[in-house]
Amino acid sequence: MTLLKREEWQGFVRDVDWTYSYVDDEAVFPEWHSGTGKVPREAWLGWEEDYKVTYPDYVATQRDKEQSAYAVKAALQRSTTFDHLDEGWKSSTKMHFGGVALVEYAAVLGELKMARFGLNAAWRNMAAFGQLDELRHAQITTFFGHEFIKKDPQYDWTQKTFHMDNWVPISLRNLFDGMMIAPNVVDLAIALPFTFETGFTNLQFIALSADALEAGDVNFANMISSIQTDEARHSQQGGPTMEILVEHDPVRAQWIIDKNFWGSARAFAALTGPAMDYYTPLEHRKQSYREFMEEWIVDQFVHTIEDYGLKKPWFWDEFMRGLDTWHHGLHMGLWTWRPTLWWRPKAAVSKDERDWLREKYPNWEQVYGDKWDVIIDNINANNVEATLPETLPWLCSMCNLPCCNAEQTRSGRWRIPTYQLDYDGKTHHFCTNACRQIWWKDRDNVNHETLIDRFLAGQIQPMDVGGILTHMGLTPEVMGDDPDYEAWTRDYVGRPATGLALAAGHGED
Amino acid sequence: MAGTVELGPEDQAPQLVPLNAIFADDFVQILVPVTTADTIREVAAAVAHHVEGKRVRARDAEKVVFHKGRRLPPELTVAEAGIGPLDHVRVEYDLQEGAR
Repeated sequence: MTLLKREEWQGFVRDVDWTYSYVDDEAVFPEWHSGTGKVPREAWLGWEEDYKVTYPDYVATQRDKEQSAYAVKAALQRSTTFDHLDEGWKSSTKMHFGGVALVEYAAVLGELKMARFGLNAAWRNMAAFGQLDELRHAQITTFFGHEFIKKDPQYDWTQKTFHMDNWVPISLRNLFDGMMIAPNVVDLAIALPFTFETGFTNLQFIALSADALEAGDVNFANMISSIQTDEARHSQQGGPTMEILVEHDPVRAQWIIDKNFWGSARAFAALTGPAMDYYTPLEHRKQSYREFMEEWIVDQFVHTIEDYGLKKPWFWDEFMRGLDTWHHGLHMGLWTWRPTLWWRPKAAVSKDERDWLREKYPNWEQVYGDKWDVIIDNINANNVEATLPETLPWLCSMCNLPCCNAEQTRSGRWRIPTYQLDYDGKTHHFCTNACRQIWWKDRDNVNHETLIDRFLAGQIQPMDVGGILTHMGLTPEVMGDDPDYEAWTRDYVGRPATGLALAAGHGED
Repeated sequence: MAGTVELGPEDQAPQLVPLNAIFADDFVQILVPVTTADTIREVAAAVAHHVEGKRVRARDAEKVVFHKGRRLPPELTVAEAGIGPLDHVRVEYDLQEGAR
């Protein structure tokens, strides 16, 4: 018996479906999971994707990729490459492992939901491969990060982060629960494969892969390149879903894109921005975060949504202005609240690094330089203590990140504006106008309590810095600190300094 | 039966008032707890404690507190000034705009 050619059976296998006679369609595909909304049920029959993969093909490709990734890992285990990596770069990988490993597992749940409730058999079939992808990503990321725990306990947060009530994972859970856990599968397909994976994971994986190779971290570059090839395939689920939704309900399509683009942009400003513009050693930086965003996100995103007949989001000007400020403010916040991190953030504002920042961001010195100068002068006066926090940054009720986005006033002065909203007897504060607007529209969906909310509600005891650190799961051996204060302050030793806080025990009454 | 008498703010035990605060040109809003009995001058000092000389260079000038667009007199208490929990306050050096 001869085997059928692939093209003779692929369509049949991919599109296999049931005709229900003993149960209502609504019972199998309930609206709250399947989310068809204004789209006629039959419209989903037209869902069609370009990337037609069969299970044998899938298994063969993935096996090759796995063998390749693990062969490189095994070879590098015998070398001392890791020991010679810059601590700033290592911190980029700690942040990535902790922030990403179990987000991939959340994506397994999202793909499984599409594999069960997607309203077209081909879509469900593709999502089944997608969940296998995400399972692989969760496993490979967890496994690669696990290897380094014996060298540095901060890598233990590869597994721990997502389970902790640290402010970073609270922010990420808020974002990804809203993107993958809460929504119906139509919204999910627009949020995750369309908005997040086609744009933002490209940035995280391609940009960081390039920086990893420059920094000499072949292992990390190899791992995320292997993952990226999966993303490129299963992200294709978004396009066909988008085509159908836009035809029948463009308002909803626009809202889902706008909301998730904004949330993704905020998270990437916090994690990828500092990694690229501060933690990666100066001589190894390929492009600035802003340049990467413009190339990989801004141009691509605008072209993509305009191809579907949609518009730029209402917040576009606010977002574009934020490319010059968001991640710089968040970097200063991460550094200031460094005991709350599971990595070692380096400030990276030596004179050479400042020259680079000024070249890439002409307003950097005006907005951030004076604050770093006071910090530098304190360190050079042996007063590191003055640079450590004694209270919490205010966390945005929407994105859960510190409210630290400077805006230029009419007088030319850069200040942190206040965006607040009184609702249901409580005052909420937001980092930006768009975060406030999205929260207002989405307030009944997923809105985790910020660390500030928890603190003020008495959930954190004792109500002091020690209590906060314990609540966040930080122990002394993993608590973040600057890896080398001298590296970026020595250029400024000996300059006159005024207006500093007195060091403890130096005569303050 | 005797009626009850409503106590004025000055007769009540001080209540905790957590504030969302920003000091001068600092880069971030912070959580600063004060009480209803604290004066506005004490509020300014409490906010400045986290920032002045640490990220914003200390200046030889009085500090003033702004709340809902009002500049508050330094001797008022938080209760008298009508500052409530979770309100936003801005603390500035008392300088001419051009002197910043």
